[in-house]
Amino acid sequence: MAAPTMNRAGSDSGDSAVQTLTISKALNMGLRAAMEANPKVLMMGEDIGKLGGVFRITDGLQKDFGEQRVLDTPLAESGIIGTAVGLAIRGYRPVCEIQFDGFIFPGFDQIVSQVAKLHYRTQGKNKLPMVIRVPFGGGIGAVEHHSESPESYFAHTAGLKVVSCSNPTDAYWMIQQAIDCDDPVLFFEPKRRYYEKAPVDTTKAPGPLFESRVLRTGTAATLVGYGPMIRVCLDAANAAAEDGTELEVIDLRTLSPLDLGPVYDSVRRTGRLVVVSEAPSESSITSEIAAKVQQECFYSLQAPVLRVTGFDTPYPPSKLEEEFLPDLDRVLHAVDRSLAW
Amino acid sequence: MPQFKQFPMPDTAEGLTEAEILTWNVKVGDAVKVNQIIVEIETAKAAVELPCPWDGVVTELLAEVGQTVNVGVPIITIDVDPTGSAAPAAPAPVAAEPATNGTSSGKIGEEMPGGRIATLVGYGPRAGAAKRRARKGSEPVAAPAAVAAAPVAAPVAAPAPVAAAPAPVAAAPAPVAQPGGYVPLAKPPVRKLAKDLGVDLYALTGSGANGVITREDVEQAVAAPVAAPVSTVDNGTRERRVAIKGVRKATAQAMVDSAFTAPHVTEFLTIDVTPMMELRARLKTSPAFRDVKVTPLTFAAKAVVLAARRTPDVNATWDAAAGEIVYKDYVHLGIAAATPRGLVVPKVRDADRMSLRELAVALDQLATTARDGKTSPADMMGGTFTITNVGVFGVDTGTPIINPGESAILALGAIRDMPWVVDGQVVPRKVCQLALSFDHRVVDGQQGSQFLADVGALLADPAMAMTY
Amino acid sequence: MSSPEQWTHPEPASAPAATAAKPTAEQVIAGLRATDQGDVNLVQLLTPEGERVQHPDFDIDITAEELRGLYRDMVLIRRVDREANALQRKGQLGIWVPLLGQEAAQIGAGRAMRPDDMAFPSYREHGIAWTRGIHPTDLLGIFRGTDMGSWDPVKHKFHPYTIVIGNQVLNATGYAMGQKFDGKVGDSDGEATMCFFGDGATSQGDVHEGFVWAAVYDAPLVFFCQNNQWAISEPTERQSRLPLYQRARGYGFPGIRVDGNDVLATLAVTRWALEECRQGNGPILIEAFTYRMDAHTTSDDPSRYRLSDELELWKLKDPIERVKVHLVKQQWADSSFFESIEQESEALAVELREFCVNMPDPPPERIFANVYAEGNPVLEAQRDEFLAYVEGFAGGEH
Repeated sequence: MAAPTMNRAGSDSGDSAVQTLTISKALNMGLRAAMEANPKVLMMGEDIGKLGGVFRITDGLQKDFGEQRVLDTPLAESGIIGTAVGLAIRGYRPVCEIQFDGFIFPGFDQIVSQVAKLHYRTQGKNKLPMVIRVPFGGGIGAVEHHSESPESYFAHTAGLKVVSCSNPTDAYWMIQQAIDCDDPVLFFEPKRRYYEKAPVDTTKAPGPLFESRVLRTGTAATLVGYGPMIRVCLDAANAAAEDGTELEVIDLRTLSPLDLGPVYDSVRRTGRLVVVSEAPSESSITSEIAAKVQQECFYSLQAPVLRVTGFDTPYPPSKLEEEFLPDLDRVLHAVDRSLAW
Repeated sequence: MPQFKQFPMPDTAEGLTEAEILTWNVKVGDAVKVNQIIVEIETAKAAVELPCPWDGVVTELLAEVGQTVNVGVPIITIDVDPTGSAAPAAPAPVAAEPATNGTSSGKIGEEMPGGRIATLVGYGPRAGAAKRRARKGSEPVAAPAAVAAAPVAAPVAAPAPVAAAPAPVAAAPAPVAQPGGYVPLAKPPVRKLAKDLGVDLYALTGSGANGVITREDVEQAVAAPVAAPVSTVDNGTRERRVAIKGVRKATAQAMVDSAFTAPHVTEFLTIDVTPMMELRARLKTSPAFRDVKVTPLTFAAKAVVLAARRTPDVNATWDAAAGEIVYKDYVHLGIAAATPRGLVVPKVRDADRMSLRELAVALDQLATTARDGKTSPADMMGGTFTITNVGVFGVDTGTPIINPGESAILALGAIRDMPWVVDGQVVPRKVCQLALSFDHRVVDGQQGSQFLADVGALLADPAMAMTY
Repeated sequence: MSSPEQWTHPEPASAPAATAAKPTAEQVIAGLRATDQGDVNLVQLLTPEGERVQHPDFDIDITAEELRGLYRDMVLIRRVDREANALQRKGQLGIWVPLLGQEAAQIGAGRAMRPDDMAFPSYREHGIAWTRGIHPTDLLGIFRGTDMGSWDPVKHKFHPYTIVIGNQVLNATGYAMGQKFDGKVGDSDGEATMCFFGDGATSQGDVHEGFVWAAVYDAPLVFFCQNNQWAISEPTERQSRLPLYQRARGYGFPGIRVDGNDVLATLAVTRWALEECRQGNGPILIEAFTYRMDAHTTSDDPSRYRLSDELELWKLKDPIERVKVHLVKQQWADSSFFESIEQESEALAVELREFCVNMPDPPPERIFANVYAEGNPVLEAQRDEFLAYVEGFAGGEH
């Protein structure tokens, strides 16, 4: 099931194949590469054309690919998703943008009733190779509905695949792989990290789309997260290292299907797991991971699986969001509790 | 070949249970087609026309105009293969298609034939299974009919906890899983270790905080060489721990199997064995018995095999797997023996064919061999009755546990001088208590009592053996 | 400040405003008047009595053979509908969604389409399925509970039935946009799409969003609304103050009401609408004014919410009867023709019945089949575990 490693034409010289990019720029370049590679790839969303998107992710694309491939759509999320379904049936590969996480819900019906089910309903005669891009997560000091983490609803829905990038390299490659995938993919982008930079090799994909990745090895405990929380986990691990505690950090990257093999392997070595996510903990992806790990690694657990998450409240006013969101201190506090077991 | 089908009164509306026949649109002999209206019925709500489910010929109208018929009762018989030859005796009251009992115009909320409640969008809810479907490889486990390979002992559970054999003394009594009790506290890796090493966590006391069993606790519980159970001393505590293994482990399992499978009844009989002791004294001087040791146990063995002829139930076996009680023509008599390795119960085979002298010899040999730890596996198996001689320890009686695979066990108590009434006078006599535990599935109270009385009578008056 | 009159009574002023109050006996009777009278803008070319009439904007040149063909279509699909209904009564289907009374609306619209056009039905369009070359036995799986649509939607250009009300309208809009993006729109050879929905669906947001998008993108889409007067138990008055065809005006495209029981008018208007779309003048809304003669589905009980007189009135407007009368009057068909159709419909019914009762239950592994195009290892592991569990039952058979 692993997709072949993608090699895209980068520039000729080896050095300029590695560029320092923000996630935002990496996504933009990845989208451009996908549009160039396949004339059936379409972008659609509110304000993505002339404006280039409220986060500039689609900046410049309409100018270069035209209004029929980069659509400024009416203000209607159900319409964006529903028409994308029709376009996909027609043979296109639509890439929908939902402007903010909190606005995906008008489209939820189309996603759950049609996008997720058509392949099954027609036993494969209809394929929906579409991508729904969603800037998600908090930490940008915003008003209501702009800081949500709704990924669990979609991971819970059979027929969808759900991924989240945490860094510019994954942003550049994963968006292209998602567009290439013949299944519908919810693509969650960590909006608070859009402007963080890192080197990106644009000639060679680091690996297949639906795989988790160990970012840092350690022995004391395992930290697992995705999207915006990876930065927090890595910072926590660096801080812990100063005290002589080496933490292993794993980026899930794919939330459905979960690739937990590396997590099981890690837990069998460390015996301790802390899962980190902004989303509220009740009935969430972190719940799923805890359940699976306790089943697969039961005899290895030195401590119960602990979770560091947003609270089970609506996202609070922005003055309180730093308290709400998991941060380095809360993660390390959980690590301490785990170690003390 | 004519094939008859009967169409039952369907449930038509609002959960009604009956309807009245208003008019028949067909008569006997008419040909009918599928969906043809054959009858008009009246429910409380309205008149309803019913379509025919089959093509065929009407052979019987089973209800009259004006008659009220319950839902589900057949109202018409139709021959769906009228061109066939001779008719079978009775029509088959079965609908044509697999999953139907005739028509159903079930409206929302109404029960349809088959029991499902009609819904707007599909077949409606269906009752789930009330019984579990059989899984492969799930035959019931056979009750232990034969004696297990490992030596089993049936020690007497005396009123006070006693280690009957001179075996190494166990430390604190091993805790047994109580129903409703708590699971021993241990982390998953410690659990796995215990499982892999065969350590029962229920038997340990945890040395970790809050009584949690630690890895060290488990490792210490098994830190014993295989040859003999080794006790370890806990650092800083006044307890000694001995691993559960070997004979004790097997004995314990057998005791549990027996005690919790066979319904035990114990009956007691106190007898005056003075005549038996007098006989014993006489035999000592007789030439035939000169070099043979005759003990009360010898007499008890003889009494048992004789009485067992009259009450063969005590010598039988409950074979649950075969669903049979097995009556045996032989008595392989087991004698509980205390050995350095623990309790063993070697058997005297065909004890019922032996004379008193032969029994004495066999029992003597058996005891010696057992004490030396040299009893062969063959002699450990196949017993049909056991005697446990608690008397040698000076104990009066007890409630012995039956050996798995047998149906009764006799405890022979110590012989003491006790006051007894003889011819109206209280005199000191040699008195002994017998205790018979029997499996009430196999042995009823009458048989058990009969047997015990017979044994007692033989021991109290050995001359009674002449009557057998 | 009172509202000026023209704002509370939208054009055209002559259109009857439907009442939205809780229906009393009088209002139901009032509905009786509203629901069988299609207003002055109703396009009709064949009266209920079988007479051809003229319409200033629409006409149709129909040959005897063509009309016989339309008659046959309607008779056969009605027979399929009745047979499937009967199969449900016998417990062979979980439910059936009857189209009784709507044959002309569907056959007329369906026969206007070309093979390259695409159709997005709701769940009652068995007549459209018929015209797209789908055999009636392929309709049964959904209602039997063995699949969710047996036909190939790509081959027949007929989308699977959509049960969520209105979703398909947006999907159709996207498809039509795709036809346009592919350059297939602009002349008589152009492609077009039709989506089908009922009066109830016109209250759903997705339908309105569809109107918005189709208008903004000039999509070659015919919105075909079968107003059969009832959304389960709710009359059209509960969905709109205005006749439904007038809604299109608010979105900037033509809306037209046709006599949905007149196959000729439906055919003519739909042909016109499709041609407009092919030329790039889409979208168009067609409201086919018809009546749901049977219940919503087989467990529905219409006697709870509508008067039987209503049904009697619409029986007089039967779509098939008027064509039969016309065929006879024109001497375009004789008794042997009608008999051959009757025989054909009987044979079709037998075929449907036998197919249905012999449909096998799908095996357990079908639960897991084709959830994803590219597979999912987590799901596959779950499937393997389940199948091993199923294997573990004594006696083998599930």
